[in-house]
Amino acid sequence: MLTFKKIDIRLFLGVLLGIVLLYKFFPIEQSAKRFEDLALGKETTTTFGKVSDLTVHCEGLSDLVECLQGYEKTGSGQSVILWLGNSQVHAINQFEPGEETAVPELHRKFQVTGEYFLTLSQANASLQEHYLLFAYLLNRLPIKELVLPVVFDDMREDGIRTSLIDAFKDQKTADSLRSSEIGRILIANHGDQDAAGNDMNALQDTFQEHSEKVLNSILEEAWSLWAARPTLRGELLGSLYLLRNWAFGINASSTRKMIPGRYAKNRDAFLAILNLAVQRQVKVLVYIPPLRNDVKVPYDIHEYASFKSEMTSIVQENKAFFVDLENLVPAKLWGTKNSTTIGGGQELDFMHFQAGGHRLLARALYNELKKQRLSP
Amino acid sequence: MIFNSLTYLLLLFFVVTLYWVLPYKARLLLIFSASLTFYGFWRIEFLPVLLVSTFVDWWVTQKMRGQSERNRFNLLLISFTVNLGLLFYFKYLIFFADNAVGLANLLGAEIDPIALKIILPLGISFYTFQTISYTTDVYRRFIEPERDFFLYACYVTFFPQLVAGPVLRAGEVIHQFANRAAFSTEHLFVGARRILYGLFLKVVLADNIAPLVDAGYSMPLETMSALDVWTLAFLFGFQIYFDFSAYSHIAIGSARLMGINFPENFNFPYLASSPKDFWRRWHISLSSWIRDYLYLPLAGVKVHDRSSGGLSVATAERKHTKSLFLSWAIMGLWHGANWTFLLWGIFHAVVISVYRFTEPRTRSLGKQIRWWGGIAITLPVMMLAWVPFRAESIVDAFVMWEKIFEPSAYLWLGMRENIYLITALILFGVFFTYAVKEKIMPKVQTFRFGIALADISAVAVMTALVIVFLQPINQFIYFQF
Repeated sequence: MLTFKKIDIRLFLGVLLGIVLLYKFFPIEQSAKRFEDLALGKETTTTFGKVSDLTVHCEGLSDLVECLQGYEKTGSGQSVILWLGNSQVHAINQFEPGEETAVPELHRKFQVTGEYFLTLSQANASLQEHYLLFAYLLNRLPIKELVLPVVFDDMREDGIRTSLIDAFKDQKTADSLRSSEIGRILIANHGDQDAAGNDMNALQDTFQEHSEKVLNSILEEAWSLWAARPTLRGELLGSLYLLRNWAFGINASSTRKMIPGRYAKNRDAFLAILNLAVQRQVKVLVYIPPLRNDVKVPYDIHEYASFKSEMTSIVQENKAFFVDLENLVPAKLWGTKNSTTIGGGQELDFMHFQAGGHRLLARALYNELKKQRLSP
Repeated sequence: MIFNSLTYLLLLFFVVTLYWVLPYKARLLLIFSASLTFYGFWRIEFLPVLLVSTFVDWWVTQKMRGQSERNRFNLLLISFTVNLGLLFYFKYLIFFADNAVGLANLLGAEIDPIALKIILPLGISFYTFQTISYTTDVYRRFIEPERDFFLYACYVTFFPQLVAGPVLRAGEVIHQFANRAAFSTEHLFVGARRILYGLFLKVVLADNIAPLVDAGYSMPLETMSALDVWTLAFLFGFQIYFDFSAYSHIAIGSARLMGINFPENFNFPYLASSPKDFWRRWHISLSSWIRDYLYLPLAGVKVHDRSSGGLSVATAERKHTKSLFLSWAIMGLWHGANWTFLLWGIFHAVVISVYRFTEPRTRSLGKQIRWWGGIAITLPVMMLAWVPFRAESIVDAFVMWEKIFEPSAYLWLGMRENIYLITALILFGVFFTYAVKEKIMPKVQTFRFGIALADISAVAVMTALVIVFLQPINQFIYFQF
């Protein structure tokens, strides 16, 4: 006998309400802020440098093709100076139209001497990510010099972001990474992921791998909400980030403690970069990035001092060049940013300076690179 | 096929729709072909292994009819040989070969490592246990052998439980396939709810905890503090609980959509007040299987019927301890061909032995003290048991365990602050959910509007999060077993 009486109206209403909630609280039409840029606040603007129409500054593997095409077009055959960095390299505090980061200026300066200056930077980039990118780019570009900041904040980061995951699929890169312990760990943890961060190991070369792709693309075309899911995930995680900061009173000035496990992995990645550079005859300029020094730094001062001292000795032991640019940018060239907590006001920005700071950084790095060439 | 995928949801939709409109015999064919499709979507080449295992046990049990006890026993051995032979080849051959070569080299033999490339068929441990239990139940005369091959094959291959359980007994489900269930919207709503809960646990909780656990376990051991070990033990404990109970929810829900009832497989295991209680709440179908088909026979106890779970039984003390350790060692290795799983099993055997020794001495304590004290001791001990389960090697597991006994290892934190916070929140959430479900809800049944509102809100939040996080790719941890 058929029974239709027991209808779970609550389930029905709940599912409906869930879908309405998604449309209501996460309007998918608006351009969503990227999760990586959450810590920047509204006063700091992301700007990836261009020289004329030439892309000389990229973020991940998706836009790297533009940088590589630019090199092929205008710099083919020239030796490359590669700068890997974090958001300090691509963000300008109190941005005004027409202003630029240090990247275009450095590119123009080296253009004069027939060298190609190329930059890749990601927010909160860890040295593990720099290691992956360096190994990847060594097989694509004739890199002669590497400019590498060691940032205390970024020693707290771990793993590889999804926008760089595809680099593991490159056989030469994977082989190069396998020569170090940290490289093997990175491959073990991320080698099976796809570009969306999914662990594809279980489904590789199965019927389901194909059916999922087809069904997802059909659904994405038919339902805008489905297509917006990566954005929704970012929005949701962003909201949790703000909630956590609010609940625990965390702001830009809060002290960031060293995280031993992550620190050790990034230090190992740093060593692996220097070893790889020696093998491939790439000169490396390591620098401590500018830090706001007119107020108390948001680090445990002893941990920060020990970090600098350890980085210095690693550089010396591995025959790289080192410069401490911590006090390069004066107080007036730093600024504030919107709060990264719920209902907060302005906060000090310790990482991103104004365009004037970028000019100082460009000159300092240029001079150091020139000086380095005179060294034996 | 993976449950948390569009492909599965689409398959389920078509199968359930057809199931309720087709006549009885066609229903069985539908279930059987849907199950083969479900399995074949992963790797079609392993379908013959599944079918051989299924057919052999059906054939063996048919042959048992009217045979002498000796012949019945011989037929049982044929079933064991085929099933365990397949399991050994696919799951353990590499492990044993590697260890044999390692041992030989240790003794100075200088043998090159054997390069074997064997892919483990999905769910082989589950369906092997299921077919063994069927043949054993027929041998023990608990059930009659099923004449209808398709009916029997539906029991073994039924797709909701095929690759990660629950480990079903024939007596629990075959009669449900045989008796044509009447359509009721209740089946659909109850089933859909369970699937929603399962997807929430999997894609929102387990899959978002997984990267934190992976990152934690990949950090250098020397930088790991004692608090990190505890945190990672708890966090992985939550991950595997959410992951596996999610699978069970979806399996139970999917079967219910077709009017088939599966037994429950989890019941707030981390609220267990003793190791014995834990195994009555965690992977209930496996622990009761181990008890009925391994532990009791090893302990020399005649099994009269299926048990209700747990390994507690009164037997002679020496046999009792030996069979306990042997059962747990096999239970550990059932999870994977690695010494770490064996260590996990032995750890549980030790814990249960200690519990059996201490339990009579605590009987004079008050009920509440025993319950709360039991949880306070059982929870961390069960979580520590997960350390070898997740560790890369047996050495890593011991290094991690050692840390918790080093006072100086409590002086720093080796991971990002968020990880401790998330672990604490989940721990609170588990207790809170238990309190709401078991303590508060029964007392507020009269506030119908409030309960309805809370229910709708919970479903809404779960639905929204499942839509946002549904990603088809991360496999269930128990798929690898």
